[in-house]
Amino acid sequence: MAQEAHGAIYDLLAVRGVSRRDFLKYCSYVAAMLGLSEAAAPAIAAAVEKGSKLKPALWLNGGSCTGCTESMAQVDSPDVATIVLELLSLNYFETVMAAAGEHAEKNIQDTIAAGGYLLIYEGSVMTGEDGNTLLVNGHKGTDILKEAAESADAIIAVGACAVDGGWVAAHPNPAGATGVQAFLDVEGVKTPVVNIPCCPMNPEWVVAMVVQWLLVAEDDPATFLAKTELLGKSYDDRLTGRNVTLLYPKYVVGSTIHDNCPRRGHFENGDFVTEFGSAEEAMGYCLYKVGCKGPQTFTQCPITRWNRSVSWCVQSGAPCIGCGAISWVDNNTPFFKRLSSMQMGDGLGYVQPGSVAAVVGGVAAAALVAHGLGMKAAGRIGPDGPPTETVKKHDRKRQAKGGDK
Amino acid sequence: MAGHAHYREAHPLVFVITHWINLICMIMLAFSGFYIHYPFFGGFMGVARGMHFVAMYVIIINLTFRIIAAFFVKTATDLGSHQVDTDIKNWLPQEKNKHQFFETVKYYIFLRKEAVISAKYGSLQKIAYLATIPLTYLMAYTGFAIYGPTMTWGLFSGGVEMVGGPMNMRIIHYFMMWVFIVFTMIHAYLANIYNFKPSKIIFAWKESE
Ligand code: HEM
Ligand code: HEM
Ligand code: HEM
Ligand code: SF4
Ligand code: SF4
Repeated sequence: MAQEAHGAIYDLLAVRGVSRRDFLKYCSYVAAMLGLSEAAAPAIAAAVEKGSKLKPALWLNGGSCTGCTESMAQVDSPDVATIVLELLSLNYFETVMAAAGEHAEKNIQDTIAAGGYLLIYEGSVMTGEDGNTLLVNGHKGTDILKEAAESADAIIAVGACAVDGGWVAAHPNPAGATGVQAFLDVEGVKTPVVNIPCCPMNPEWVVAMVVQWLLVAEDDPATFLAKTELLGKSYDDRLTGRNVTLLYPKYVVGSTIHDNCPRRGHFENGDFVTEFGSAEEAMGYCLYKVGCKGPQTFTQCPITRWNRSVSWCVQSGAPCIGCGAISWVDNNTPFFKRLSSMQMGDGLGYVQPGSVAAVVGGVAAAALVAHGLGMKAAGRIGPDGPPTETVKKHDRKRQAKGGDK
Repeated sequence: MAGHAHYREAHPLVFVITHWINLICMIMLAFSGFYIHYPFFGGFMGVARGMHFVAMYVIIINLTFRIIAAFFVKTATDLGSHQVDTDIKNWLPQEKNKHQFFETVKYYIFLRKEAVISAKYGSLQKIAYLATIPLTYLMAYTGFAIYGPTMTWGLFSGGVEMVGGPMNMRIIHYFMMWVFIVFTMIHAYLANIYNFKPSKIIFAWKESE
């Protein structure tokens, strides 16, 4: 069927200079992300074509730097990913839409009233200042999210901020930021949320989830959940104090960066960069010693890569800073140190685990030497050892009191 | 206490062997652990990890064997004695250790002159030896929680979630190494402070009067 496919999508692609072949190639790439074989590509193409004309969507921005939008829009030439997303009927996308003011607000309200849309949410949910942030025409950002979430078929939380608050929620979190799932748990909204990690998120992963929806969901959230390979990961949300379970596409978070890293061979051989700007760095050695968080970070960056598969952090020479992790800023700073520093208490600063350990080890060694000198001074050392009591002190005391009854 | 004779009954050959395995594994684990923590010279990561991954299984099996053997092997009931009984009885706190804990502490911080009566091991020593058991298993737990093939098992991923992520688990594993280092420092110090007779028996299985 897809072989014969033509119509709106191909016209649009043609206008952008994307051939049908490019499009199918892209579809097989998406198929791989969804854990399908390449044979699924035509079905994906068909689903995109069919769905794109039907599926309304909203893209809301929360507390963030808009980097995810930027990541989506970084294209300088026709890009299949953006076209696919454009083909969703995106009724509201603050940063890039043409509509403004009342007209734009009406688009949101109409979409919510009609229901049956996908909600893409970028940025953290800021609950600080009693929620008086991200105000649009007097509506609190948190209220808009809640309303839009309640009537959505499904939510795609894009980027670390939407996942668990991201850098906005980093200590001391003055904005009271948290993730979409944590917020909806508190509000009792049950709409399924699929999380796309990283700061910013990878556009291909978002496209894969949109395509997955068009492909399998039959407009039913339950069917979507049943037919999509998802992985649940729980964490304790510090702001809400709740244990929150996040759903991720399994493809995205199934293995560590370290496991797929092209520099892994250097890691095993023990070829490390110790200093930036060194000969080792020029040779592309492993960045473990300069703080690479790849071994602890579960995302698919080395395989999907970034900017339309041109490169990614480690390939471009920077250690992974672990932006795909939960509480990624607090858990992974300083970026250029192997282990994160520990906070000693508010205002007391941070300390590296190695420094603590060296102090403890040093104190123990010094104490033993001092104790040994004491033992010698007390005359306890030698082949005969110290004099030993013949009766326990406890028993001596009891005997003095009159012995056993 | 330290002036007594050291006979083989105190540490039968199996326990001399388990102790050697313990020591060798610990040295391998700590050395490779330090290296994994921060590779201080080049070209060794594959070997270091291999070493760590072998020694970690050996030490767990060895410890488990040591515990099971305690129920079957007989060891000396007292310092400088040939009389034996099932090892586990001598390992756990006994009648002779009763009321001696604070006295032992006082002795070591020079608040009393005479050494205290103890069984085969003093009360502090028993606490320390017993504590190494959960400590080693906990070390294994934190280790498997950061070990690729096992870290996604529910048993371990639950723990990772509890401590707030794999980075924190690594830091805990790293700190626990220091607990072992400090333990071994104190242990080696106390074992040899009076004279080297205890070491002769535990390492070379040589008796001394
Ligand atoms: C008993 C069972 C043990 C297991 C299963 C275990 C397992 C592991 C694993 C899987 C790693 C990570 C290696 C990598 O990702 O390349 C590791 C690292 C390490 N291990 Fe162990 N280990 C054990 C015992 C020990 C002991 C006894 C010590 C020290 C006395 C130790 C010290 C370390 C250190 C310092 C690291 C590096 C941590 C870091 O900085 O990231 N381990 N261990
Ligand atoms: C105030 C602190 C402590 C005191 C007063 C103390 C006291 C003692 C005493 C009296 C013994 C018996 C020594 C002998 O007669 O052979 C002993 C043995 C031992 N203690 Fe402690 N201890 C202390 C802390 C620790 C700690 C923190 C550890 C380990 C983490 C430890 C590990 C050991 C070990 C392994 C032995 C056996 C040594 C041997 O083989 O003879 N002790 N300690
Ligand atoms: C510096 C290295 C070490 C030295 C010099 C040393 C010395 C000794 C000595 C002399 C004894 C006999 C104690 C007595 O009869 O009172 C002993 C027993 C023991 N040591 Fe060590 N040791 C060392 C390392 C270790 C390590 C790394 C561990 C494990 C973490 C360990 C665990 C034990 C245990 C559990 C016993 C009781 C013996 C048994 O019944 O199995 N030792 N050690
Ligand atoms: S650069 Fe990072 S992810 Fe790559 S092998 Fe080294 S430590 Fe692992
Ligand atoms: S490689 Fe690391 S720092 Fe780079 S995007 Fe992926 S998780 Fe973030």
